[in-house]
Amino acid sequence: MTITPEELIQGLDDLPSLPAVVMELLSNIDQEDIDISVLAKKVATDQALTAKTLRLANSSAFGLQVKATTIGQAMTYLGFQSTRNLIMAAAMTGCFPSGRCPSFDDKAFWRLSIATAACARVLARHMRFNQDVAFTAGLLHGIGRLVLVTRYPEQYDAVLRENKRLDGNLRATEQTLLGIDHILAGAALAEHWQFSGTMQQAIAFHHAPEMPGAGFLATIVHVSNAVAHALDLAGDADELVPAVSSVAWTALGLSEEVWLHVFRETELQFEEMTAILLA
Amino acid sequence: MSDDHELVPVSQAQPGMVLSDELLDNGGMVLLAKGAVLSEAIIASLQRHHIEAVPVARSKAHRAPDEAAVLARLDRLFRKHDLEDDSDWAGKLLRRYVEDYRLERQVAP
Repeated sequence: MTITPEELIQGLDDLPSLPAVVMELLSNIDQEDIDISVLAKKVATDQALTAKTLRLANSSAFGLQVKATTIGQAMTYLGFQSTRNLIMAAAMTGCFPSGRCPSFDDKAFWRLSIATAACARVLARHMRFNQDVAFTAGLLHGIGRLVLVTRYPEQYDAVLRENKRLDGNLRATEQTLLGIDHILAGAALAEHWQFSGTMQQAIAFHHAPEMPGAGFLATIVHVSNAVAHALDLAGDADELVPAVSSVAWTALGLSEEVWLHVFRETELQFEEMTAILLA
Repeated sequence: MSDDHELVPVSQAQPGMVLSDELLDNGGMVLLAKGAVLSEAIIASLQRHHIEAVPVARSKAHRAPDEAAVLARLDRLFRKHDLEDDSDWAGKLLRRYVEDYRLERQVAP
């Protein structure tokens, strides 16, 4: 079968929807004059989301001196942007149904996404890049795989089985069997959900960070993804380290000593965040 | 309790230790989540709560890494990277750094 981009985009409305408050956070992404107290109250009506967000905010990765006990406090201590990204992370990890596609290991998928997010956040700090944006981009870079697995569970099961048999490149196998790949699907969803332009670019170009216009965020996500695979954090026996762009690697310009610190910090943050997000 | 975990008296707990299980008080309320990283403030608070011991992940430094197993796994992870291919130098560097990290080698600053 061949899925056209048009079919895919039409189907996006059938995807599981995010909690209303998260959609609101997404659509208000560039709005400065947003009323934080109203937003905090809306998030607070979703208890599970609130609990997860607060546990993340209080994890050692964010280094709060005082424990935040309400969303409003988290916004005061961490700032609106950081808190919004945490709410999105907490909502996103719980919003796709699992189990409809036997070959898709959604736990391994999220473990890899969280590892990428943790590494992206650590790298962003070293590069003086926005850490929250890097964290969110790392977490969501593979979201196209969720689109395909949710929309076409049977066909995607065949893709995963064939790719395992070939020990091949997932994207190439997707293109052969579906006529579309998870990069395209992810970019379509990012647009549909009105992610910011930088975020859309990072999702669309994390496989090709050397492309003109890909942006520095794509470089951070590309290398973080390779590191997450190389540190073997997904817990997948068939784990495979993807190609590493030398252009992206050079752009970061870190010494081996710094890299080893990055690995350690990534692993520590990963352990803590998976315990919260995948509880 | 598995080999990865040990029960450490609070008096001997160190900042940076990672909780291997959630910690409950006498009333069954969660004081700390599994995976929480201990800090000096948290340890002081545990003492105030009269907690005697905490389950923590056993430090990996106590066990020397199994070099053969580490290298075999890295060979598997990097199986699509050709070590002879000079154009893949970034992939090779990543592999070398992860190897140094896993085998706890000293690296020049």
